[in-house]
Amino acid sequence: MSSDGRIAPSTLSVKDLPWQIHWDKDKCTLCGHCTAVCPVHAIELGVYRKRVVKTSVGLKETPSNVYQVYHGIRQKTDPAYSCVGCAMCNLVCPNDCIMPYRSDEADKLRYHINRGGQPRRRGGRRNVPGGILDQIKFIRISMLTDPALDAGRHEFELRTLLGRILPPEENLKLVREEGWIPPVREIYPLIIGAMSFGAVSPNMWEGLQMGVAYLNEELGMPVCVSTGEGGCPPRLLRSRFLKYVILQIASGYFGWDEIIRDIPEIKEDPCAIEIKYGQGAKPGDGGLLMWHKVDKLIAAIRGVPPGVSLPSPPTHQTKYSIEESVAKMIQSMCMAWGFRVPVYPKISGTTTALAVLNNLTRNPYAAGLAIDGEDGGTGAAYNVSMNHMGHPIASNIRDCYLNLVKVGKQNEIPLFAGGGVGKSGNLAANAAALIMLGASGVQVGKYIMQAAAGCLGSESDRCNICNIGLCPKGITSQDPRLYRRLDPELVAERVVDVFLSFDTELKKIMAPLGRSTSLPIGMSDAIGINDKAAAERLEIRYVV
Amino acid sequence: MEHRESHWIPGKEEGRRLESRVLEERIQQAVGNGRHFLKVKAYGQHGIGGRLWRAGTDPVYLEIHGSPGQRVGSMGFPNTRIEIMAPASDDVGWLNAGAEIIVHGHATNGVANAMAQGKIYIAGNVGARAMTMTKHNPRFDPPELWALGSVGDYFAEFMAGGIAVVCGYEAQDPANILGYHPCVGMVGGRIFFRGPHKGFSHVDARLVPVEDQDWEWLVKNLRVFLEKIDRSDIIGQLSLREQWQLLVARSHLEKGIKPRRSMAAFRQDVWAKELGTGGLFGDLTTLDRNPIPVITTRELRRFVPVWENRKSVPPCEASCPTGMPVHERWRLIREGRVDEAVDMALAYTPFPATVCGYLCPNLCMQACTRQTANMAPMDVKQLGKASLDAKLPQLPSLTGKRTAIVGGGPAGISVAWQLRQKGHEAVVFDMEKTLGGKITSVIPKSRIPEEIIRSELERVRSALPHVHLQQRLSREDLEQLKVDYDFVVIAVGAHKPRILPVPGKERIIPAIDFLRQSKQDQGKVGRRVVIIGAGNVGCDVATEAHRMGAEEVTLIHYRRPPASGEEKEAAKAIGAKFCWPCFTKAVTEEGVELTTGEVIPADTVIIATGHQPDVDFLPETVTTERGFIVVNEFYQTTDPQIFAIGDAVKLGFLTDAIGAGRKAAHAINDILAGKEPRGDTRQVIDYSRVKLEYFDPRLMRFDDIQECAEQCTSCGTCRDCGICIAICPQGAIRKKENGNEDFEMVVDPDKCIGCGFCAGACPCGIWNLVENEPLV
Ligand SMILES: Cc1cc2nc3c(=O)[nH]c(=O)nc-3n(C[C@H](O)[C@H](O)[C@H](O)COP(=O)(O)OP(=O)(O)OC[C@H]3O[C@@H](n4cnc5c(N)ncnc54)[C@H](O)[C@@H]3O)c2cc1C
Ligand code: SF4
Ligand code: SF4
Ligand code: SF4
Ligand code: SF4
Ligand code: SF4
Ligand code: SF4
Repeated sequence: MSSDGRIAPSTLSVKDLPWQIHWDKDKCTLCGHCTAVCPVHAIELGVYRKRVVKTSVGLKETPSNVYQVYHGIRQKTDPAYSCVGCAMCNLVCPNDCIMPYRSDEADKLRYHINRGGQPRRRGGRRNVPGGILDQIKFIRISMLTDPALDAGRHEFELRTLLGRILPPEENLKLVREEGWIPPVREIYPLIIGAMSFGAVSPNMWEGLQMGVAYLNEELGMPVCVSTGEGGCPPRLLRSRFLKYVILQIASGYFGWDEIIRDIPEIKEDPCAIEIKYGQGAKPGDGGLLMWHKVDKLIAAIRGVPPGVSLPSPPTHQTKYSIEESVAKMIQSMCMAWGFRVPVYPKISGTTTALAVLNNLTRNPYAAGLAIDGEDGGTGAAYNVSMNHMGHPIASNIRDCYLNLVKVGKQNEIPLFAGGGVGKSGNLAANAAALIMLGASGVQVGKYIMQAAAGCLGSESDRCNICNIGLCPKGITSQDPRLYRRLDPELVAERVVDVFLSFDTELKKIMAPLGRSTSLPIGMSDAIGINDKAAAERLEIRYVV
Repeated sequence: MEHRESHWIPGKEEGRRLESRVLEERIQQAVGNGRHFLKVKAYGQHGIGGRLWRAGTDPVYLEIHGSPGQRVGSMGFPNTRIEIMAPASDDVGWLNAGAEIIVHGHATNGVANAMAQGKIYIAGNVGARAMTMTKHNPRFDPPELWALGSVGDYFAEFMAGGIAVVCGYEAQDPANILGYHPCVGMVGGRIFFRGPHKGFSHVDARLVPVEDQDWEWLVKNLRVFLEKIDRSDIIGQLSLREQWQLLVARSHLEKGIKPRRSMAAFRQDVWAKELGTGGLFGDLTTLDRNPIPVITTRELRRFVPVWENRKSVPPCEASCPTGMPVHERWRLIREGRVDEAVDMALAYTPFPATVCGYLCPNLCMQACTRQTANMAPMDVKQLGKASLDAKLPQLPSLTGKRTAIVGGGPAGISVAWQLRQKGHEAVVFDMEKTLGGKITSVIPKSRIPEEIIRSELERVRSALPHVHLQQRLSREDLEQLKVDYDFVVIAVGAHKPRILPVPGKERIIPAIDFLRQSKQDQGKVGRRVVIIGAGNVGCDVATEAHRMGAEEVTLIHYRRPPASGEEKEAAKAIGAKFCWPCFTKAVTEEGVELTTGEVIPADTVIIATGHQPDVDFLPETVTTERGFIVVNEFYQTTDPQIFAIGDAVKLGFLTDAIGAGRKAAHAINDILAGKEPRGDTRQVIDYSRVKLEYFDPRLMRFDDIQECAEQCTSCGTCRDCGICIAICPQGAIRKKENGNEDFEMVVDPDKCIGCGFCAGACPCGIWNLVENEPLV
């Protein structure tokens, strides 16, 4: 209510909000931690007047009226300050007396987060928990029919190939003739997907890169990470760690002049170049890094002046047809590193993926295709794009793979799947399912944020304020007061934990299948699902 | 009885190979029959020589010729000794529980798999997965596997106990006698080996030095082994201590510690070394990026509290056109300085009692924050009435600057009053006999006791000696004033009645004329009076008409009557009727004829639809619009030397006229001082910052100004209540005395965590929590 007691159409009660703060007066010590930490100022100290009417039994005395004043934590109901359920208040509360609870019915706030005609924007991913990947089971347990393998003890070849693999005859011919053979990288099949510097904080970014470097250099796991579209810090470009890095170029071309100028200083080729055409979370929508996020550091890396908004258009300019988009762009990027670096496009999941793929199969420079499904994450997008736009990854990757099989090129052009991998925490199972559906590897972003940095975001619309620079975990904020909460070293350690445990889990899935010598790409006879329609659609076994 | 001579059991009968089952039955039968020295001619039968328990503790010797099948000696008993005179197939001694098994040749895969007791001696090389899953049951001696040559791949997988000795003599692969990837999952036991290897599972096993007692054991048992396989000839070749190595399983404790470089070390020795100090961004920023806690102080706070005392205007002051700081007066009273509170009023108005106490609709009270919670507003009328005794402050000496004021009504007196307080001479000209404008001439006596007006006018006269009454100024006079004075202020009010252009208009009496007469107790009204125009002036006319003897009073208006407040109540109290919408068509002998044809009977018709100033005497340099003088925000007319205020500019309340006078005086003072005139740029405090919860909502009436003062929330001005000091969880706030009763609340940034509790608790809305300065 407004202070003069009036209501407006968007006047809400706590009951109308998606997240409701329960506060325990008895336990609270009024330490101020919760209000100090709340990212969105959803709570404040409130002054309460308590009234007690004292009446005596038998009404023998004249009743009296007593007021008391007390202080407590009050939740704001102004939509601009609505609680996002991050529970940071609970995290810092010494007495465990404050907690956000999810409303027991659809909230009313959703009808009002469009002040000034501005539709809701947020971070995170599609607000729909679960998905088909979690339902896929690994049903081929070949302990007797194949040599029994032990995931914990035996050696497994988990590496996958990124690059255009020529048919052997052609390859041999080219070797003989000393012709150009497309570059191919042997990489770990779990790739840290594009999260641009700018969308994520410097500490997060450094933590990811450090973890990846550690995995490569200390543990011999050829893990690679995409830079995202925000350019690449010069020090990384000039270091040997660049070979673990996939440089991404997107429609905004941020930082690419800096990268080009650094080419003479670059001592190691990058792992690959990823040309971003689309993102699963917000297909067909561009990006906008708001001016207030563009501090000196980001500006330096992106090669722009600080304090200006940086739009990435929904489409690449100067490309007017699929042939052009694919051919022109791939060719240019191949040329930049003397045709020594694999170059592949990344698109959002779409029914038109097959058309793109068909095009790529005819282009000898295309090193693969990455498809990002509807469950992909983002740092900022319109809610409507996130919730309703895009194609599920499973059938999209399956169609592409089966199409490759049809033209006999399934071993020549690798597919990479992303978008919601590990959404419910089942990273290895989801990855294995996608691999068996035909992916050569998977890309993860949100999972890494959650597992390596403690991101609080969820598909029940918790937190998800990555777009406003107030990330309570310091993952997606450029404010040192927030991102210094995140220690890059600890992020790196968690990255290592994630990959090591993924490695074991993936082997736990592969071992009973009797596969140890190569990734079971497209090994769809090993998977099943208890949904008949899905089984038919994916051309896998229906099991009940 | 025991039969010492050997007993032949052929594996073939009548040219046909016996089934494994049949051969097993025959062997068991023979042993049961006391035959303990058996010779078997084998034809690939499975599991020969195991489970010979029928002999009890007696030893059983089994010599196998031909080619035994898989799992020879499997589940062997401790009494059994098996000698295979040829190479052996897979799984020799599988699940061996004590038998001694000698193979005079090579053995294929799986030798000793799951063996728990007994000994297996192989005179050649061994296939893959030998010595896997072996155990050592502490009740018995550990099992032993001896291989003269090499072992195949995946040797000793999951080995949990026992001793394996691999002599590496004439090995199948002399470059690697332990095969590919041995010891995976090994958790117990020891492996002696002699010769090169290509690695083993370091996670599970480790090399240890061969100690003296190990060597002693090895040499002793090596001799036995070679004897068993008839190769004692090479004992010298094999007993060179330096050729032997020993592998043991790592304990679970050792396995826990993965020999990995710590991330801290990696960061320092690898990461920063390659990238340079400061890591990835060390070249681009000098910002400290080291980890910090979630709850922070100083520059790391996200928000900081700001003590915004008196930064914003309270609603009362803001809504008072005179700009009376009502809350300051209540504060003075709370502080026991009632006299000061009373005197303070004179700095703002020459008529604190007349206006605040009686004639003002008290806009301050209407806006009072307390009203927003249905609580009684501060009763400023009480304070106003008490101001009758306000003492004039010592007036400053004159600056020599002079202003002529045309019109001695509230507006004119206000500007003169203010100018004089600033030391400028103010000369007032009025055409009437008395000062005070409408206050003295038309506002009905019922509204205010005359002695109040008189008393306040006397106070005015004492401050303003130069008042020229009965001077109606002409245009020429005005031109002269411009020459004689620095500024001229027009405050002539609005006295020209607006006349309706209807037939019979000459029958209509203007309200002002009527009131002016009634105030002198002159003039007459008929029994029925109709008043055209139902505003507050109309209401005053109605009550006065009633006082003068009218019995039926009707107020008509063309839309909903705008009358409000005391005037309206008084009119209603005398039984006046309000009619609307009514459009007057004509005024006749009968009364007022409306456009509808209806006639409201009237003996007297008075018009109260507002007045206009008489602006004929103004020079052409002063622009007017619709009869009123056009001014800017400082009440300056289009002639910069001439100001205009009060009803001459816009019809309003007394407080509007007084406020205009005050503002005009400020502007003139600024200009005289050579400055640009300044307005008040302060914002009104947001009601939501004020906390009414500290006050009793059931208190609806205030007995005296003291009680009243206690209930003023003091919106925007610190009450010095100490709540912020008390609520701050960090104890970060203290009161700093600045001398002269001035103080401020200061925050210790070393302690403050930016929780905003101070802002949340402050009753007056002084604290504001603002975003901290950006760090980048
Ligand atoms: C009936 C009635 C009741 C009202 N009741 C209230 C009330 O209860 N509370 C309230 O707040 N407001 C009330 N008002 C409004 C209030 O009276 C005016 O807002 C206020 O008087 C305006 O002051 P003023 O100085 O501009 O004009 P005035 O009070 O009209 O003063 C103008 C002065 O200028 C003089 N003058 C005019 N022309 C010349 C000239 N050419 N040369 C020299 N002198 C000249 C006049 O003689 C007069 O003394 C009432 C108004 C009326 C008509
Ligand atoms: S859950 Fe998060 S947003 Fe909600 S009040 Fe607590 S800290 Fe603030
Ligand atoms: S953090 Fe907990 S104890 Fe502290 S003020 Fe908040 S609710 Fe109370
Ligand atoms: S914790 Fe940070 S990154 Fe995760 S959802 Fe919240 S704002 Fe986004
Ligand atoms: S409570 Fe006091 S300060 Fe606030 S508006 Fe009312 S009178 Fe003015
Ligand atoms: S209450 Fe204390 S700690 Fe909290 S913001 Fe105010 S001064 Fe800082
Ligand atoms: S809480 Fe009281 S003492 Fe503190 S600033 Fe507010 S009014 Fe002043």
